[in-house]
Formats: sequence, structure tokens, C-alpha cells
Amino acid sequence: MNRMLCPRLVIVLFLISSAHAVKVGESAPDFHATDSNGQVQKLSAYRGKFVVLEWHNNGCPYTRKHYESGNMQRLQKNWIGKGVVWFTVISSAPGQQGYVTAQQENEYLKQMKASPSAALLDPQGEVGRLYSAKTTPHMFLINPAGALVYDGAIDDKATTDQADIATAKNYVSQALQEAMANKPVSIPTSRPYGCSVKYAH
Amino acid sequence: MGRFFVWVVGSVGLASAAWLVSAQLGTAQSLADEHVKLELVSEQNALVSKEELFLGIRFTLQDGWHTYWINPGDSGEAPRIEWQLPVGFQAGQVQWPYPERLATPPFADYGYENGVLLLTSVRPPGKLREGETAKIAAQVHYLICRDVCIPGQKQLTLVLPVENHAAASPESALFAAARARIPRPVPRNWKISATSRGDEFILDLRTGRLIKVVEFFPLQAEQIENAAPQKTTAAPGGVRLHLKKSKRLLKSIARLEGVIVLDSDKAYLANVPVRSSKMSRHN
Repeated sequence: MNRMLCPRLVIVLFLISSAHAVKVGESAPDFHATDSNGQVQKLSAYRGKFVVLEWHNNGCPYTRKHYESGNMQRLQKNWIGKGVVWFTVISSAPGQQGYVTAQQENEYLKQMKASPSAALLDPQGEVGRLYSAKTTPHMFLINPAGALVYDGAIDDKATTDQADIATAKNYVSQALQEAMANKPVSIPTSRPYGCSVKYAH
Repeated sequence: MGRFFVWVVGSVGLASAAWLVSAQLGTAQSLADEHVKLELVSEQNALVSKEELFLGIRFTLQDGWHTYWINPGDSGEAPRIEWQLPVGFQAGQVQWPYPERLATPPFADYGYENGVLLLTSVRPPGKLREGETAKIAAQVHYLICRDVCIPGQKQLTLVLPVENHAAASPESALFAAARARIPRPVPRNWKISATSRGDEFILDLRTGRLIKVVEFFPLQAEQIENAAPQKTTAAPGGVRLHLKKSKRLLKSIARLEGVIVLDSDKAYLANVPVRSSKMSRHN
């Protein structure tokens, strides 16, 4: 009797878990995605490290604010230097703004002098939907134990103005500083700001 | 010599990149102007000392483009207005007509397609003299989107004469239409309550009449899930609206603030304390 019920129960549990959008405090769902160098990247391979996910669209004025100012590149360099894994994720569908081939992404990274750990190409939006990524930028921080500890905006100035970066509170850096010092993340969520992620219709 | 060459090429490269960036920014502004017209308009054709006057920022949008409400929803940005008024003039808060729901599956924004008139009341000082004019200006920062988004910035000015009596301006009909969409206070005989139960807020609204169509637009971000269907359950003389909580809402909230729209044309401003359901073990 139990052996007959179990498979159905497993299926039901799978359906519930895949429909549920991950919340801060919960285990960050594993993903695998091909990066712009053709490598398959899995979140679970980085257990034991802090992982930042940065949703990206190179044409969106909010993304451009953080790239044309050099802000995102500085953040990536600074935190990767401290052992953080930083993935740029592109979930724009083919034909939509922000969609890039691997070669185009590598050219962009070179032109922008950006060095994320990898740029994950997600044109089917699988990783995006798994995390319910809604804007570019939209930032997530996963701790070494695999828990989601930040989900929201990059900072507290929801504008396209580069001049706002200098006086903005960077939520990602703050969360990393606190988590690395074994303190609770004081602002674990915020309204992510930016353009909508260009999923396929 | 080799290193010098590299330095020159590098500098040229940087200069080109900078040029490209500034050209793109310049292009972005002229692109915004192609899709939206902004005007500063007045309900009346003249100023009268000490008499309240309504001004409006009028957005006229090309087909397919939209701009945003005070809470833009899952993406986008609300317009910001900075007034530059003559000495002694006082401006009130911007009054926002209730928005449309703009679906961007699996998410939703709140805003305006086609256009909107954002109202503000202005009170001129006393002792203005007939025959004088006053120049009123507003700097507007805004975002318009279709499949892509373009930020814009516009300096608007309006010169109005001072007279003893004012008549309706050519734009006055726009003001009446906008005013009909401004949320009004909830009538005193209504009963509204909000309960937090599990993963939803239940807004219980009793107006004394059967309610067929109702929609709630939140004023605060990340309290409810903007794209979730707002299920209704029947209640005597009213309705209960089930609002799914945002996945980024980690703490209980004291109040639920937003606009309730009945029958797709009557908007009310609600600010309701939230109580916890005794049946729920969660916030």
C-alpha cells in the first residue's frame, strides 16, 4: 500500500516545490545553465561559497546606469576578490532586448571591462522563472550553506541616474558584509527596480 | 615605441567608448520625445489672488507606450515632478488618477497607456496685481516603456496672467475627466477590514450593496503579489477580496493601503489596519 502511494506523493511534492517561488531563508534552488564560454554552471557546485546572481539586460537603462558608471564592474571585482562567486544572468528571450549570443556577451564583457565569475545564458528563462527574477537588475545572494539571504534591488535609489550611485546604500554589499561577519542580514528583501525581464511571451 | 602605440590605441579606445556612451544617452532622450508629449496645463486661463488653481502634467503617449502610477508595480518607475514656483506660491501633493493594470506575464505593473493628467493644486499668494503674469515651471523625470524602456526629463513652463476672475481654459475638460479617476475617501457607512491569514490578506469590504467587480491597487511595494488574480468571495452587502502576499514580505504589516476600484469606474482610497487571523499560526 505504501509503495503505491509514495510515487504519487513524490509527484505532488515536486509539483508544489516547482511552483513555489523561493523566499529568503529557504534553500536556493539548484540550477544548471550554460555560460558564455560554453561551460555548464550549477549552483550546487559552489556550495561553501557566497554566490551572487545578477539579472542583466545590456539595453535596459537601469542596467546601463550601473555599467556605464563602472559600478557593477567594481562590485564584481571587489567581491570576487573576497571569494564570492558572481553570476550575471541573461534571461532575455531571442528577439527581445538584452538577448545575446555567447560571442556577443563575451564582446560586451570585454568592452565593459566586466569580469563576473561567469555570464549565464538563460534565453528560455528557466533560471529566471526558478528565482522569479522580475527586473534588470534584480539581485540575489546565496550563502555558503545554500540558503537565499538577499532578494531585491541592487541599492536604495530606484532611478536611471548614475549620479545616484555614490549616495545610494548598496543592499548587496551590505548583505555580504553582514553575512561574512556572521551577522543576520539586516535588509534581506527590497523592491527590485529596473526594466522587466524580457521572458518569452 | 610599442608601449607608446598601445597607450595611444588604448586612449583612442576609451575616447570612442565614451563617445559611444554619450551618443547613446543623447539618443535616449530624443527617442523619449518621439513617443510621449509632456505639457504643463492649467484648468483656468488666469490666476486670481489667493484662489486655488489646478495645474496638470499631461502625458500623451504614442500607441503601445505606457508610463507609471505612484506605485509602478513589478517594474518601471513613477514620474517625479519638481515644481519651480514664483515666490509665495504653494503647491499641494500630486493627485494620481487610479491606474490600469499592465500585465507583463508572469508579473504586473501599474500605469497609464495612451496618457494621463497628474493633478496638483496651486495656491497663489494675495496681493497679485491684475496685468501681472506669473511663470510656473516643472521639471519632470519620467520613464516610458513599451517592449523597452526609455527614461526622459523635461522642463515645462506655463505663463498665466493675473486677473480678478478666471475662466475655464481650453484644457479644462481634461481636468474633469482626471478628477473622476482620483480616489475619493471611503464613505462613512462602509465597513472595511483586513486580515492576514497564511499567504494572503483578506480585504473585507461592506458597502451595503452587492459588489460585482472590484480591484485593489496597493500603494506600497512588495506587500501583495501584483500579478496574482484577486479572488473574490461573497459577503452580505459587500465582498471579500483575497490578495496573495508578496514573496518578499517577511514581516507582518500594520496597515494595508491602496485604491479600491468598484465596477471599474469608482475609486476609493483605503487605509486599513491589518489583524492576524486567529486561525493562522503564521504572520
